[in-house]
Amino acid sequence: MRRYIKIFSTFARACLVRDMTFRVNFLLECLTSLGWMSMNLAFYLLIFSFTPEIGRGSGWSREPFFAFVATGLIINAIVQTLFMPSASELTEMVRTGGLDSVLVRPLDAQFLLSMHRFDFSSMANGLVGLGLLIWAVLRFPVAPPLIAWLLYPLLIVCGVAILYGLIIMLAAATILMGRNQSLYDFWFYITNFSRYPAEIYAGPWGDPLRTVCTFVIPILLVVNVPAGTLARPLSGEAWGMVVLTFAAAGISIGLSRIVFQAALARYRSASS
Amino acid sequence: MHTSSETKSDRVIEVNDLAKEYRVYDKPEGLWASVRGLFHRKNRIIHALRGVDLSVGRGEFLAMLGPNGAGKTTFLKLLSGIITPTRGTARVLGHVPWDRADDFRRRFALVMGQKNQLWWDLPAAESFRLHQEIYRIDPIRFAKIRDELVDMLGVSHLLGQPVRELSLGERMKLELIAALLHEPEVLFLDEPTIGLDVVAQHTIHEFLRHIQKQRSVTVVLTTHYMKDVAALCERVVVVTHGSILYDGSLEQIVDRFTTHKVVTLDLENPPAAGEMERFGFSCEVHGPRVSLRIDRSRIADVLPKLLASQPVRDVSVEDVPLEEIVAGLFRGAAKRQAGTDPDQEVGAV
Amino acid sequence: MSTTANSERSLQASHGWFSGVRSWWRMLVICLEERLAYRTDFALGTVMRFLPIVTQVFLWTAVFAASSRTDIAGYSRDNIVAYYLLTMVTRAFSSMPSLAGGISRSIRDGSVKKYLIQPVDYIGFLLASRIAHKLVYYIVAILPFAAVLFFCRGYFPPAPDGLTIAAYILSLLLSFLLGFFLEATLGMIGFWFLEVSSIIFAYMLFQYLLSGHMFPIDMLADIPTGLTGVSLADIVRLLPFEYTAYFPAAVWLGKITGWELVRGILIEIVWLVIMIGVCRFVWWRGTKRYSGFGG
Repeated sequence: MRRYIKIFSTFARACLVRDMTFRVNFLLECLTSLGWMSMNLAFYLLIFSFTPEIGRGSGWSREPFFAFVATGLIINAIVQTLFMPSASELTEMVRTGGLDSVLVRPLDAQFLLSMHRFDFSSMANGLVGLGLLIWAVLRFPVAPPLIAWLLYPLLIVCGVAILYGLIIMLAAATILMGRNQSLYDFWFYITNFSRYPAEIYAGPWGDPLRTVCTFVIPILLVVNVPAGTLARPLSGEAWGMVVLTFAAAGISIGLSRIVFQAALARYRSASS
Repeated sequence: MHTSSETKSDRVIEVNDLAKEYRVYDKPEGLWASVRGLFHRKNRIIHALRGVDLSVGRGEFLAMLGPNGAGKTTFLKLLSGIITPTRGTARVLGHVPWDRADDFRRRFALVMGQKNQLWWDLPAAESFRLHQEIYRIDPIRFAKIRDELVDMLGVSHLLGQPVRELSLGERMKLELIAALLHEPEVLFLDEPTIGLDVVAQHTIHEFLRHIQKQRSVTVVLTTHYMKDVAALCERVVVVTHGSILYDGSLEQIVDRFTTHKVVTLDLENPPAAGEMERFGFSCEVHGPRVSLRIDRSRIADVLPKLLASQPVRDVSVEDVPLEEIVAGLFRGAAKRQAGTDPDQEVGAV
Repeated sequence: MSTTANSERSLQASHGWFSGVRSWWRMLVICLEERLAYRTDFALGTVMRFLPIVTQVFLWTAVFAASSRTDIAGYSRDNIVAYYLLTMVTRAFSSMPSLAGGISRSIRDGSVKKYLIQPVDYIGFLLASRIAHKLVYYIVAILPFAAVLFFCRGYFPPAPDGLTIAAYILSLLLSFLLGFFLEATLGMIGFWFLEVSSIIFAYMLFQYLLSGHMFPIDMLADIPTGLTGVSLADIVRLLPFEYTAYFPAAVWLGKITGWELVRGILIEIVWLVIMIGVCRFVWWRGTKRYSGFGG
């Protein structure tokens, strides 16, 4: 374990050094992702100029909704910083055979493949998310109880774990298919569903969608449960969702492990 | 460390009937063919390796020769556990390679001349330290070995530069150091000298020979350069179309596959036209320099007559160049292959 | 990709009008073959592209439900659904995947040089190959598009009259050309800055926000700008971005009629002429600077 932490920190340091070598580029990347985020925030402000809340009786009025958005920003920033760069490089590694040199190392391949490159500029959004969270929570009519504050970071970790499992399973598909343009689009589109509160998926089409995205691909738990824990009272149903999120995180990690190992066993290696 | 069921004998690599097949999809040519391709796809099976048997002892330096696509790299990939075989068994250091046990992976190294294994954006020194962590090398031992290897190749001034800024030759030297830091018992080298200049090739030959002697590492090398083979290996395995064509010593390859010697003469005067042909065939005349091929069994008879026929300044008798022998071997195999080609097992899925 | 190399070669080898058409046809066929080879990816990709709309539709449905309104900035909920679907159609015309990036890359790696020494008009070549790509895209994408639009036909108001349809088609074709020249110009910034990806990203940002891809521009009509009597929507309407998503959709939905429609199309044409000029000018200045450097 200590060895893994040391290897992890070596990679992190190297990436940080690299980012600092190309400082201007780093700042530009921070700025563009901040720009993208502010655009979305502007859109939400526009929406709240037409309505007091999103979804009748859902409780997602302006401040709780911005706490929701902030939670999403934090979780996505963690995923984008830690896992996404490595995962997107995996495509290239499969194509060029760079994966070969990872497989001969006496180290867990999944660890090495999912955590060797980082994108620190994505942390900018996470910091803004943190600020936004504080701003929103201070304006809550009822302050969240202590237990909600204790659960919140744990649920954030669970959200990250669910997304990590999904990334790894997509990466496994990359290894099996050799190439995966649509797969990363798939990632983008599927996480798109987690951007808004689960309550908006209602009606004859929305209800089944909500069920699928909660229990089958638990993408709706990722942001909804931590944000809901802060923003709304912890009812019996809410506790159920908390338990479900912990379970989903565990299953997601475990399943991704199995799928990834199976994919490695079928790896063909690029010819040359 | 050596907890696994290592074989009693000093067989480091044991391979039986190892085969690897790939299924490839043909991209149909032409518009209508691609439209038809919507409904059914043709696929073809490529036999990269067709049941290979091989056994390598500890401390051997073995070269694998073969034309492109013969299956050499596939063989190395199987032995290092990157891919799994279609059938057959292999044991390297007592392990099944594709189980990818950490205990096994700590004891061998793979260097690929065409692929970069150092971390591209890191300076080599950082990559080395990373290897220390990955392979759990004792820090003191690590520093000692690293300094030794770096001195031997004279690359201490390159350690601080990001690898992407180095030349191919410099990078290959550092790749070799990285591969040897954990003192592997088995070293797989896939075309390690590809694209290098003569000086760098020579340095790497010297280095490999030294390391292999000093540590009695078992080395399997694939290459296209006969210079590599002549400088390094006692044993040569020739692979074509996924099968072993020849397995034996370098000298034997010459004995077995050549019937002639090359005799080169420096004459006092250029010979008259047609003068030399009676002694041997494939006669090449460049002014006073003449080279001919003479049957090995007849050389003792012919040579004295040849020397007596002309005033001679200098003479040398050599084997046919290795390149030529091997090229001949490849060609022969290709011809046999062309007769009955079992690669064409076409079927629809 | 070797096929693009092939099509480039065949295009460059052309002399005269007839062989120009022939090589262009050849390029079309190659593109189509390429698409068909990766058909699963393609079909999946096209359908997937509608997924973000699904979330948008649910979001707006929730907004309408919570606010108890039937009308937001002149749009009913069904209007909003139809609007998002129609912007997808516009984007199928006006979006130029990897055009700006491709141009700046060819400048960076020097492959643009061959257009300086060969008798080929680079912008013309890019436009021709883009038309070919788009045509192929429509041939393959028309089925998924038709299926989605048919499935969602209930959200659309009755079809507009012939004149509006004609204006709609005209605005779509103009949106293709405007999108092409906007992005081509953007890519040519590469003559001055090596790393254009941030600039391209910033452009995409504005494009996304101001084109109406996110929400109808009409929703900005109540947002003040500080100038009396001028709303944010009025400013956005003078920019070229809205023509790459909002404008054709709004025309089909009958949000823009009469004099406003004529004015809109005129502004679009003016922007197109400006961008053609700017694109040519930037290419001319850029190549001059480039050859001045000695490559």
